[in-house]
Amino acid sequence: MGAYLIRRVGYGLITVLGVLFLLFVLFFAVTDPDDIARKAVGERARPEVYALWKKNHGYDRPLLLNRAYAAGDSRRYTDTLLFDHYRRMLTFDFGNSDADDSLIARRLKEGMGPSLSLTVPLFAFGLVLGVLLALFVAFFRETYIDRAVLVLCMLTMSIAGLLYIISGQYLIGMLLKWFPISGFAFEPYLAGRFLALPVLVGVVSGIGADVRLYRTIFVEESNRDYVRTARAKGCGEVRVMLAHVLRNALIPILSNIVITIPFLFTGALLLESFFGIPGLGSLTVEAIQGNDFSTLRTMVYLGALLFIAGQILTDISYALADPRVRLT
Amino acid sequence: MTWAFVRVAIITGSLALALAGCSNNPYPASDRAQKILYSSFSEAPKTLDPAVAYTTASHIITGNVYDTLLEYHFLKRPYELMPGLAERVPEAEPHADGRVSYLFKIRDGILFHPDPCFQLSQGEGRSRKVTAADFAFELARLADPAVNSPLAGSFGQVLGFVEFAETLAALRQTDPAFADLPAHEQYRRAGGIAGVVARTELELEIVLKEAKPQILYFFAMPFTTPVPWEAVAYYNGQPGREHFADHPVGTGPYRLTTYEKQYRMQLERHAAWYGSGVALADAPGAVFPREIAREDILNQQIDPDYAGRRLPFLDRINFVREREDIPRFNKFLQGYYDEGHIIKESFDAIVQNDALSPQMSARGMRLDKTVEPSIFYIGFNMADPVVGAAAGERGRKLRQAMSLAIDSKAYLELFLNGRGVLAQSPLPPGIFGYDAEYKNPFRQPDLARAQKLLAEAGYKNGLDAHTGAPLKLAFDTPNTTAQALLQYQFYVSAWRQLGLDVEINATTYNQFQAKVRRGAYQLFTWGWIADFPDPENFFFLLECGNAQAKSGGPNTANFCNGEFDRLYHAMKSLPNDERRHGLIKRMLALTEQERPWIELFHNEEYALSHAWVINSKPMGLSYPTYKYMDVKPELRARLQVDWNVPVRWPLYVALLLIVAVSLPAVRTFYRERQ
Repeated sequence: MGAYLIRRVGYGLITVLGVLFLLFVLFFAVTDPDDIARKAVGERARPEVYALWKKNHGYDRPLLLNRAYAAGDSRRYTDTLLFDHYRRMLTFDFGNSDADDSLIARRLKEGMGPSLSLTVPLFAFGLVLGVLLALFVAFFRETYIDRAVLVLCMLTMSIAGLLYIISGQYLIGMLLKWFPISGFAFEPYLAGRFLALPVLVGVVSGIGADVRLYRTIFVEESNRDYVRTARAKGCGEVRVMLAHVLRNALIPILSNIVITIPFLFTGALLLESFFGIPGLGSLTVEAIQGNDFSTLRTMVYLGALLFIAGQILTDISYALADPRVRLT
Repeated sequence: MTWAFVRVAIITGSLALALAGCSNNPYPASDRAQKILYSSFSEAPKTLDPAVAYTTASHIITGNVYDTLLEYHFLKRPYELMPGLAERVPEAEPHADGRVSYLFKIRDGILFHPDPCFQLSQGEGRSRKVTAADFAFELARLADPAVNSPLAGSFGQVLGFVEFAETLAALRQTDPAFADLPAHEQYRRAGGIAGVVARTELELEIVLKEAKPQILYFFAMPFTTPVPWEAVAYYNGQPGREHFADHPVGTGPYRLTTYEKQYRMQLERHAAWYGSGVALADAPGAVFPREIAREDILNQQIDPDYAGRRLPFLDRINFVREREDIPRFNKFLQGYYDEGHIIKESFDAIVQNDALSPQMSARGMRLDKTVEPSIFYIGFNMADPVVGAAAGERGRKLRQAMSLAIDSKAYLELFLNGRGVLAQSPLPPGIFGYDAEYKNPFRQPDLARAQKLLAEAGYKNGLDAHTGAPLKLAFDTPNTTAQALLQYQFYVSAWRQLGLDVEINATTYNQFQAKVRRGAYQLFTWGWIADFPDPENFFFLLECGNAQAKSGGPNTANFCNGEFDRLYHAMKSLPNDERRHGLIKRMLALTEQERPWIELFHNEEYALSHAWVINSKPMGLSYPTYKYMDVKPELRARLQVDWNVPVRWPLYVALLLIVAVSLPAVRTFYRERQ
């Protein structure tokens, strides 16, 4: 398992380096340091103000090759934007935001709480409800309940996420007036009031796909020999579902959910943005809109690292849950 | 991290309670009876450094936290300056050598907000008195290249301003020890700005190289507020200390008490504000205007009972960040924001026949319209050989014909719900020189006349008389969204009626700017919102010295006309008198004929406020008026409850439905089991 992990981490590192290079190329293909400076200090600033801003933020260096140094000088390659980009990311020195000079590490720390406040309940409610509903449907498989729920699932999967948000805000916040339309409170006892609607919207918009997947797993499991044996031995249907089917079906479910756990930290882009939650999702959206390269690359880098971590965790959890699986 | 998870657990629990509680009120019950104004902001301020902050998002804070020497009169239009921290608006004092000086007499007894930064000078003291040196310090910061003030160029006429900046830069480069000194010490050693003199503790003299009356407007902007050197030295971003850009220390009627800019900001009334004391209680900036126009009272924008009362009235101003328009507007409709702007999607439900709909009027809502001091226009690149000056009379007639084809009224109706004033010249309403009766002969849509002019230009039916080929023009635009393309298409369709083949080159804003810098454009669309209410702030966009091709300046049309420039330079230093008016008329006559721009419209803001908001008259300029505003919290609390009774029956229906659907299945299951 150790050798396997080392190999996976190695592959992951190569992937992350590739992601960083791709991000650099894509970002500077559509924009340049002058645009970043203009966005940061405003359109009306004088050229010398742009120049000073670029110097202070290190954007006065060339992208790939610094011809100011002689051919043999290593600074020809190291005193460049690309090298600095890699150096900062690999040493976790995220620096300051290009948009407002705030410390990115501080923004990450501030944003993680609100993001987790949204994503953890969303994840927990979504998982519990998804599994329970799938069990219920699998229990009544091939009945009108099964078909009705499947049709509903397909419907929920066919609707765009943004529509859930806007209609959820209108229907529940505006017409029924159950919860605030948007907003956030850091005080935990107040936060629930603000998070109820985004969590509800998030759960409803994501439940269709989950229920379909879990139902398939449960139905497949309930046709296996050991289930038939349990039934033949007189085991009740409820006990069959909960004690036998659910336990064995957890292995594929586990692999499906473990990979999503690391992303709880990066927040939910649309939900945070529309519900005014000051988390890492809205930070990413803002960085994209504001040409904030330093924040954007940090978020992409962390996203890539978390993705790799999620994959490795999935493999490990799979091996732990199923003794037949060996990581070699 | 453990705490984070405990928090999440509590939140999850409170979510369950919220489901049972069911209330959409986003504010704690304890705030209901308080004089709090609830507002929102969409973009977080980049900085609160008054020398740098140049956006509306920043000004809602800096405009309330920082006082200025002069202020705009809250009610008078055209805009009028009045004393703020200064005892009076200074008169220009001309010198024999052409220099002009202004002497500001500063009110005695103005105190900075109490702040830990004053331990640098006052020992245990938490505040200190404002002196002329604090204004001089801020003006030096405007000149300081390291501060990056966007307004530095506007103070170039202050004697020694540019030289001070150069000395400072040179000293920093040659002497590393100098660069490590605190800013105020560096400024002192660099000799300060020659034209900024603290004559006494309460007298500040500004000496200009030549007359520039517009300079006074800058003393009504937070850029020139007094800044204590202690705040800049103390808030240096070192561990445990914020940056000065995030921690304002001013003298204004409000203090910034919460600044989580991604999420919320909160201003609280400053108890020791100069207007709250007895000695300066009658200062014009500290009392509500005594003369109120009848029109403002009839429009319900101003409550006459407030005349002569001491400011401010609100105890707290809460700003919550709302990135998206729709939730912000819906929360306004629910009564949870006191002021709001109409979103396009709801325009017809809110405004009918150019007034509030009966439904909204019944809720006591008010609609305040303000024409912004702005101009939106289509420009011709006058350096272009086809549409520009080089084409001579032919080019002029082509521009005139194209101007006649554009119907701005139809444009406003189609795309902006009619919100805007048709532009006849570069000057918007409220600016000296604007004439509401003036009708530009080339801005009255007339296709027949346009076709005649086009034929005279040698492009009959859009065909070049010399070559017989159709005339092809490029329209460069800074937006690629579907909505924007539709808007550009409106203009192109109008020109197509003349037979002109105009192609839209839609690019992103960055790419468009790159094109402008390269000079690779023919027609373009642009807008301008004034920094201060003076015609100079519009005409400079057409002055040759500011031409993009020459200096990279804001004259994107590259309009260079000797006569216009001569009139501009004569006009810009004059007070608003008959002579100036005459010069402006001649300048307008020139732009009318030359047509470097097709003036489209002046933007009109429709602001909404609830019945409990008092004195909501908008300013138009980026200038907060919160110190004049008030609210009726009891009325607000009552209406919020009336408007937000939760509708619970769908919940019960949904539960019944689930039970009804599930019951037969459960019954079937038990039957089969038996």
